[in-house]
This record gives sequence, C-alpha cells and structure tokens, in this order.
Amino acid sequence: MNEVARDALNPTTSHPAVRALVLNGALPGDEMLGPVEEVLLSLLRDTGSEVRHYSMRDVPLAYCQGCFECWTHSPGLCKTEGDAGRELAGAIIGSDLLVILTPITFGGYSSEIKKVLDRSICLVQPFFRRVNGEVHHRPRYRRFPATAAVGVIREPDEEQERIFRTLVERNAINMDSPATAVCVLGPETGPEHLRHRLDTELAPVLQRLAGRVA
Amino acid sequence: MSAPRALLLVGSARPRGTGNSEVLGTYLLARLGEGGMDGEVHHVSHYQRPERERALFEAVDAADLFILSTPLYVDSLPYLVTGCFERLAAHRARVQGGTDPRFFAMVNCGFPELEHTRTALEICRVFARQAGFESAGGLGLGGGEALAGKPLESLGGMVRHVRRGLDLAAEALLDGQPVPEEAQALLARPIIPSRLYTLLGNIGWRRTARRLGTSRRLGDRPLP
Repeated sequence: MNEVARDALNPTTSHPAVRALVLNGALPGDEMLGPVEEVLLSLLRDTGSEVRHYSMRDVPLAYCQGCFECWTHSPGLCKTEGDAGRELAGAIIGSDLLVILTPITFGGYSSEIKKVLDRSICLVQPFFRRVNGEVHHRPRYRRFPATAAVGVIREPDEEQERIFRTLVERNAINMDSPATAVCVLGPETGPEHLRHRLDTELAPVLQRLAGRVA
Repeated sequence: MSAPRALLLVGSARPRGTGNSEVLGTYLLARLGEGGMDGEVHHVSHYQRPERERALFEAVDAADLFILSTPLYVDSLPYLVTGCFERLAAHRARVQGGTDPRFFAMVNCGFPELEHTRTALEICRVFARQAGFESAGGLGLGGGEALAGKPLESLGGMVRHVRRGLDLAAEALLDGQPVPEEAQALLARPIIPSRLYTLLGNIGWRRTARRLGTSRRLGDRPLP
C-alpha cells in the first residue's frame, strides 16, 4: 500500500475501517486466481479493512430469470429464495469497496461473476435517469460501493484488456460507483510484483474511499 | 447436396415465446429460410444439464451458421450465455479438425442507446476468435423493450427499419459476406424517440406496480 493510502486507511487514525467485499470468480478447476487472491486479501487486511470474501464457484446461486419482479413485485428483493442471492446483494450494497477478482473471459467477467452481477439488478430501480447523455437506471440506494476489478488473463491480449476496462467502467456508471480501479494481470506474476501492481493500481480507489468513509 | 443449416441460440432466460431476443432471432431465421437455409431454434436456458449441452455443442459443430440473439444483462452477455460460451470454446478446442461455422451475434437492450450493446458485441467477437468460428459480425439494438415480445411483422411501420436491417443482414449471411454497416445503421435508428421511450417506460413500470399494489414500495431499500 502506498503511503497516502496507508495513512488514509490506517485503523489507528479516526477513520472507520473500509468494508471490502471480495468476489472470486474462478471457474471450477481453475487455480490461476489463487495466488492473486492471497495477495489481494493480505493487502486489504493490512489496510485494516474488514474483508468479506466469497469464492463464487462454491456459493449456491440461481441465475437471473430476467423477470424484473425485483423491480415490481417485491421491490429491491429477488423472488428467488433459498440461495445466496439476497445475502450477496446485501453484501454488495453494505460494502464500501467491491473487489471483483475474475479470469478475463472473452474480454469480460467469468460466468461465476456474471451470475452474481446479473442477480444484483435489485440494487437499482426500474426508472430511468440520464448520465452523460445516456439512459441508465436510477440507483435504489443512496450509497454504492467503489469498484476495484482485478482481471487475470492467460495470454497478453490488448483487445480483451481494453474490453475488460470498458466493461468495468460501464458497470460503474450503472451501479453508481463513486470510484473505480481496474488491474489486469498475467498468470505468472510473482508475489512481490503482484503486491506492487495491486498496491499501485488499486490505491486511487482506496484513497478516495478513505475520504468517503471518514 | 443438402441445404446449409443455421442454428439460432436464444440467450434470454425468459420463457419461450415471450422474449425480444427470440423475436429478432426468429425473424432473421425466417429470412434465411426464404433464401434456402434450414434453421433451428435453441434456448440457452434449456441446456443446463451437461448431457443436453453436449447435444447443443454437436449441433453447433454441424451448423454452417451459428447465430446468437441475446438480451444485454448488466452491460454484457447474460450469465447463461457466458457460461455456455466458456464451455463451448473448451469443447471446440478439444474437437480439432471440424468445420469452422460462421458466427453472428445480435444483442438487444432495454436502454434506448445502441452504445450499451457495444461491449457485449466485442465480447462476442473475441469469443468467435477463441472458439474457432469465422465471425460474420454483429448487430446491436437499443430500446428493445418496445418490441414487447411481439413478432416484428405485427408491429407495422414502427419497426420497418429494424426489419430492413435484418433483411440486409440475412442477404449478407446467405451470400457468405459480413453483415454490412448499413444494417447496423438501420438498427441504430430509435424505434421510439429516446425521451418518449423513457417516459413510456417509467409510466409502464408505475402502471405495473399499481396493478400489483406495490406503487408505494417501488423505491424500497429492503437490504441492510
């Protein structure tokens, strides 16, 4: 963690701890994200953040049926019960920082991440608003988490990296995210280099977040 | 010699016969049929069991043209399509030496601007490259909710430009050509002007809520 972010997030100051939610979107049998997750969690905990962590492939979660009942029938709540959908939506909106850790799949998130994001539309309202001349949904809650997306890619691929960055930025508009950071990593990155990359590239979000929770 | 075959995969999780993705896809398939191409429709939600999915992948391998018609979910492809594509790409990497069908994608979204569909179409292009398909391009459509799940032929002049764009796409696909930019330019024209679309959309949500008795709860914040 660079000095500014460390000072801003240090729990010995008057700032409350950042509530970080980490969603790991590794697909079944894919261990490529393991070392990144380890460093990421350590980095967040070193800042004094309260970290909640889900490995999505182990979480029972039905897919979004596109029925929009979470907007009209039971506003703010998905009709599907008995899985982790409501818990995850609550964890997202209750966090200060949402960290999406995912293998980059065709330039986008893995299906494990996509499943939870699709189920999170209950966090916005059906009504429309305009942002930078484009129509988007109105946020349901007053406060949404900042977003940090960490994408891991097997082979360098500029096109996929560009698409991934655009996707995260566009999600941030729809989710009314106050700050966004994107980090794209290769699978062979060593722990020291990994820590440096995450520290540097996520710092802008953490610094801004620190000011927000203070 | 048998007729070329097109396989349409509908990416919506909505029940059959109710989704706009199916409306757009089946219209295109009908135009391809008029040009002599056989077509079949598959719904991705049907393929949630491995043995069923295997049959789908074999059908894709055997097709000459693989078409995806899907809604946009949270700025990209829905979970069901993303998962299907992950496994289809892995399947095609294992099955070497087969044919390379052409792949064509259509993404429709509930926002009036076409721009929202761009990222999903780019994801489709990378999928085609990685899964060994020859890309035939893609089309985005904004304001898709105006179709209300009804056949394009029944919607009259309001969607004339959409039908014309899909007709051009079908002609190009039948000729083995990439879908022309003119087709996208036609679909980029709003079905309903943007401000009217959002006004009608907001009225529609309120009307639904009134019918359900949830009008006062639409802005609820039930999560902690």
